[in-house]
Amino acid sequence: MSAIKRENVSFFLFILPALIYVTVFSFYPAAEVVWLSFHSPVSNSLTLSNFKALIYFGLPQAILYTVIVVVGALSFQLFLGMGVASLIVSKVKGYRALYILALLPYGIATVVNAVDFSFIFQPTGGFANGILKAIGLPTVNWYSGTPLELFIVILADSWRNFPVFMLLMLAGYASIPRELYEAASVDGAGVVRRFFEITLPNLKKYIAIALIIRGISEFNIFALPLILIGYSPPLLTTLTYEFYSTTVTKYYSYAAATILLAFIIVFIVIVLKLGGGGRR
Amino acid sequence: MNKIIYIILVIFIIFLIYPIYVLFLVSFVPAIFTVDRLYPYQFPVALTLSNLELALSNPQMIHAVYKSLETATLVGIIAVSLGIPTAYGLSKLPEKIAYAITTILFTVNMMPSIVIAIPIAADFIKIGLFDTALGLALAQELIALPLTSFILLGTFQSIPPELEYQARVDGAGLFRSIFEVLIPLAREGIIASFLLSWMLSWDEFTFAVLISPIRPTLPVLIYLYTTRGNILEAAAFSLFLTIPVLILTVFLQKYLRGEYLGGGLKG
Repeated sequence: MSAIKRENVSFFLFILPALIYVTVFSFYPAAEVVWLSFHSPVSNSLTLSNFKALIYFGLPQAILYTVIVVVGALSFQLFLGMGVASLIVSKVKGYRALYILALLPYGIATVVNAVDFSFIFQPTGGFANGILKAIGLPTVNWYSGTPLELFIVILADSWRNFPVFMLLMLAGYASIPRELYEAASVDGAGVVRRFFEITLPNLKKYIAIALIIRGISEFNIFALPLILIGYSPPLLTTLTYEFYSTTVTKYYSYAAATILLAFIIVFIVIVLKLGGGGRR
Repeated sequence: MNKIIYIILVIFIIFLIYPIYVLFLVSFVPAIFTVDRLYPYQFPVALTLSNLELALSNPQMIHAVYKSLETATLVGIIAVSLGIPTAYGLSKLPEKIAYAITTILFTVNMMPSIVIAIPIAADFIKIGLFDTALGLALAQELIALPLTSFILLGTFQSIPPELEYQARVDGAGLFRSIFEVLIPLAREGIIASFLLSWMLSWDEFTFAVLISPIRPTLPVLIYLYTTRGNILEAAAFSLFLTIPVLILTVFLQKYLRGEYLGGGLKG
């Protein structure tokens, strides 16, 4: 027994460098930010003043817009990922080409993704307006209002990142035993009923995993909105960066960052609850 | 029914290809027909390489490419050298402990880059790592290490344990059996981990803009050019950023699997 334990200790030593590294570079700085965000930049005493000040500098809007982008982008990516995965699984003609093609956006860097979509959606002119004009529709100023600007961010982000959903849905489809479908067909269940009664319940766990992975990234979405729409309308990340790069004290950006972290944690708890405990 | 499926398929394909097509147009068609026009031509009316020459003759871009290459390679090296022992340890430890450690590694991915980049940048200024490739690589490693560990864990688990036992029975020590049996067998997974980490760093923006803003990497340079309104240069640089990653994405598609992205979660 003790020999096994001693062996385990030596295997644990293999992991120790990585654990020390993540503690020093991730957990400690994050704890530092949260701790300092509750401190006054002037007197260093405990206070909520940083958070109160943020309310006047666009925090409520930033929270609202961040939630809109997260929910919008996740729904759109779920739809796209599920759609493309279903087409690939049903082995439509050219499904292999579709698979490679669907992975390509993931090979485009986020910054390039943003620059690319800014060519497509220009306030006047641009590629999207060019198409609208060619088919005789009125052109649109894509930067004329917050809803439209958030829509462009959601669209650009979903285009690049839906492959994560697609890959996880494919892994999920592969885990469903074929016999379930055959039995259901014998019982006379149609395509729609089979989808809702077999596919969806079996994919639930994979959908939860995809929502967590992508959801964390959606809350952290930064380069894309920064390049496409700048600081306004604000998101929690761009607000944090704006405070960091423009104000003397870092404490406001710490406070904004703390709120971002809190939202991510709440989001994960919600998805885990809905997804039925996540793993296993 | 079949007709509807094909219509959906065509819509998906157009949606997937069009942004890449636009990137191609802006990169290889003279600017007077694309970004310099109010309504750009949707078809390649003329082809040119001058946009790329413009990028290549820009000294700032050469510096940025160099910095990006240096950082990405460091991230790949650190990922493999920290990831191999981590994955090996995880594959040997009892499931409960391994599960707890995997969860800790996954939590690292949860931390918003922008949250931890600010204090890291402040600390790096004090110890002289600010704006260096090594400092940036150490920060970006936070994104690469969990993924690398999960991929390598999968690779190690797929190697029959008998092979390692056999080496031990034949008198090889723990380290010799790792270096002479396991690592050669896991070669493919190790190369994939290196390249994926390299790719993550090559694309990374948030840490780069906060930790290395003075001598920027390529993504940050593109951002700086875009905000200054130099769209044409930004587009040309974008192509340089894209080509290696597109090639790697197709090349590594075997490793871009749901299981790995799911943080080693099994179905």
